[in-house]
Amino acid sequence: MSTMVSIGKFDYLNEPQSDTFNPKIESDKEKRNWMIHMLYIRHDYVECLKVIEEQLQSCQGLCEYAIYVKALILRQKGKIQDSLSLFQATVMLNSNNPANLKQVGRSYFLLGRVSEAIECFDEAQKLSPEDWEIWFNKGLCFGSAKQYDVAEDCLIRSNSIQRHDATYIELGKIYIQQEKFREAIDIYIEALDYSPENSELLTTVGLLYLRVGDNFKAFEYLGNSLTHDPKNPKIPPDLIIQTILATGSIIQDHSENDVALSKYRIAAVHTPNSAQLWNNIGMCFFGKVNYVAAIACLKRALYLAPFEWIIAYNLGLVHLNTGQYASAFHYFSASINLKPDFASSYMYLAITLSRLDDFDNACTAYEKAIEMESDHMFELNYAITLYNHDDFDSARHHLLQFERLFSELDEEEREAEQNVLETRQRLSAALA
Amino acid sequence: MQEGNAMQMDPAILALSRYRRRRFDDTIDLTTDILARNFKDQAMWFLKCRALTAKNWIDDTEMEDEGVAELLLDDHSVASAPRPGTSLKKPFNAESGRTTANPGIRPTTRDGRPVTGFARPGTGSAPGTSRPVTQSGRFVRLGTASMRTEEGGPFIVADSLDLKKYAQRPALAKALCDYLLYFDHNAKKALELAAFATEEVEFKDWWWKARLGKCYYKLGLYRDAEKQFKSSLKDQDMITTYLELGKVYIKLDQPNAAIEYYEKGCHQHPGDTHLILGIARIHDQLNDMEKSLLYYEKILDLNSSNIEGISCLAGNYFYEDQPELALRLYRRLIQMGVNNTELWNNLALCCFYSSQYDMCLNCFERALALADDNNMADVWYNIGQVAIGIGDLGLAYHAFKVAISVDGNHPESFNNLGVLELRQGHLDESKNNFDAAISLGPYLHEPVFNSALLSYKMGNHQDSYNQLQKVLEIYPQHTDSAELLTKLRKHFS
Repeated sequence: MSTMVSIGKFDYLNEPQSDTFNPKIESDKEKRNWMIHMLYIRHDYVECLKVIEEQLQSCQGLCEYAIYVKALILRQKGKIQDSLSLFQATVMLNSNNPANLKQVGRSYFLLGRVSEAIECFDEAQKLSPEDWEIWFNKGLCFGSAKQYDVAEDCLIRSNSIQRHDATYIELGKIYIQQEKFREAIDIYIEALDYSPENSELLTTVGLLYLRVGDNFKAFEYLGNSLTHDPKNPKIPPDLIIQTILATGSIIQDHSENDVALSKYRIAAVHTPNSAQLWNNIGMCFFGKVNYVAAIACLKRALYLAPFEWIIAYNLGLVHLNTGQYASAFHYFSASINLKPDFASSYMYLAITLSRLDDFDNACTAYEKAIEMESDHMFELNYAITLYNHDDFDSARHHLLQFERLFSELDEEEREAEQNVLETRQRLSAALA
Repeated sequence: MQEGNAMQMDPAILALSRYRRRRFDDTIDLTTDILARNFKDQAMWFLKCRALTAKNWIDDTEMEDEGVAELLLDDHSVASAPRPGTSLKKPFNAESGRTTANPGIRPTTRDGRPVTGFARPGTGSAPGTSRPVTQSGRFVRLGTASMRTEEGGPFIVADSLDLKKYAQRPALAKALCDYLLYFDHNAKKALELAAFATEEVEFKDWWWKARLGKCYYKLGLYRDAEKQFKSSLKDQDMITTYLELGKVYIKLDQPNAAIEYYEKGCHQHPGDTHLILGIARIHDQLNDMEKSLLYYEKILDLNSSNIEGISCLAGNYFYEDQPELALRLYRRLIQMGVNNTELWNNLALCCFYSSQYDMCLNCFERALALADDNNMADVWYNIGQVAIGIGDLGLAYHAFKVAISVDGNHPESFNNLGVLELRQGHLDESKNNFDAAISLGPYLHEPVFNSALLSYKMGNHQDSYNQLQKVLEIYPQHTDSAELLTKLRKHFS
């Protein structure tokens, strides 16, 4: 976004001074502006501030541009309150310059005073109605005030004046917050038409595809994002980590655990304390049937993020596989406590309970899972448990339910689940 | 003891026998009686002197807490801007490439150091202890306290003694010197006496040199102390002298020199655990976990019931994701008869993380039964953690509340309460809790980061920025903060 600011500045420089009465004094005030500007864009803030101070002293603090740049520097140093008062001073000096008003609004926004920010932008809009930046900032303000419809309108108008990646990204974010993932993807893909190498866009699209369950497309975009110069310092490291995590998880889904692990190794250097990373590494080891390592990694993940239900769920799965049913029960119940609306947890809890010989509670758990979501696996497992406890009639009933749900699946999905087919055959043979 | 028999015995013999049986109070009573009858009885004077010293003996080879004044006005350290790893004030950090504890995993103490497995003077982990103003000040206080317990004025008035005369009689002088050091805590007089005495023996007795060193040490003249101890070691190789020399170097903030001398001592006395313990502690204080653990293991090879070694190893195993091993070590401590809140609390945590849930709550119950106001809050805090672990957030909430009600200055509990409030959507309460945690525990990075994240989410970028700066001061490698900061910088530009 650093380009944005300099655009504003150039606008300002080209702008004719409307209230110039004495050309001599005015030119005195402005004569060092070129130097301030040059030092500022070189990021030589120390020298820049020195020149600004000299300039301000020589014209008794009435030099608009010097104050403006000083405020910008202060903001970059994180002193928003101070920079706001300087921007306000520039507005006092020259209230006809929309750039000043825009910056005041931006400062208000950064301080979290959204309604004041919007007022400022409205004011600025009166001065320059066709400014994409004002619409963009208004969009941001409305977005953080959770008025998504208005925000959407503002951002779309901003884009209609001038297209910018930043606008697309914010628009996408607003769709994501409303959980309109399809719209968000469309917007990002539209943005990618204009800047196909923006890795932030590529990663975000990839992550969104992952979220809507389209792994193939997700992988395509994430891979693209990584190939576009991964050493580019402009890409923030967290983005790379996110990309690596996401690609790793997709690779993992295709049971290429070693490849995924090698990806995670890169990420682990940057974020050794990331619970998600440890979770995925743990599940890699789980896929490689290395249960001890899996449990160790997952436990570390849970230590780092005790509120993540999925880690507890995964730990439950691993313990179920190692035959440690008491521990598995504990983790599944913890997972359910943290996220009560995930039906599969109940099924696995039921399996664990049946292995612990708690038949009644196992049945309750199965019924709860089936009540929440109809899934053929729930029915099949329920049938097996019922069969194991000699309740053949109910078992037959649930096997029928399973058959019904299973036949609704398409061919490809049915072929994928080879062991389900086997289990079905053995169960129907036993019940016949 | 039958009274009749005792009456028949010579009281002097009886006193001696009681002294040997370490019944110092009886010895003192008996010798006082005898001296009241004959104040020139040198043997009894000697015995009383020894008994009083033995009664007030402190093992001063151990490290000691530094007083506030010494911390603030410390001008003994050799280098004012030492390289990392060469000073106790600037231990290794992650940048210096050593394996140090990860603050994201292992919590820190008030001094910002990773918690060790053993609370000892200098680790500063005991909550609520008031530091004495100065080290010598405490000894003066101890001196007057021991004086008061005596009826009829002090036994020996140090100021009125002719020390030169005593210095000529080695046995009496040694007893007197120890008396002055350990009972009277009058290092100045002891120094005078030792100076005369060492002159008397033509500077050939290591004992006097060591005592001279001790006196100099107590008076804060560390360079002189170093000289005396070194010269004493030349005459006679003694473990205590090595230990005291190590202490001098620690005071001078030269941990590597201390380690060097401890190593020398280890070479001469390969089976001694105290020297190894000294090395382990220094590595520990320098945040060089790997090395310190190596030495703790060495100690346990030699002495399998060294409590400090066991608990430090256990603590480390726990934070290295091996709670099962830690559990075994803590069980060993229980077998050895250690029975306190901290141990049961740690046992409970180990049980929980190694999936032995049935034991876990029992251990917490025991810990609570033994707890006092100083450590009860910690136990409840850990119960809260376990409750989060089993997903029972209601119990967790209550546990943290109880922890705070027991100890209103428990920042960790405030932080976790803040997180729980946030999960329920109570933004203001959660913010308040984070603020309380930050003000009570400025050494914690978690509440500051949580607060920064909350500010960012609520749109207040300024507060968020300021707080992130604070987090990175406490924990420079915190990746989450660094990420959030880059996001903020993007907003600012």
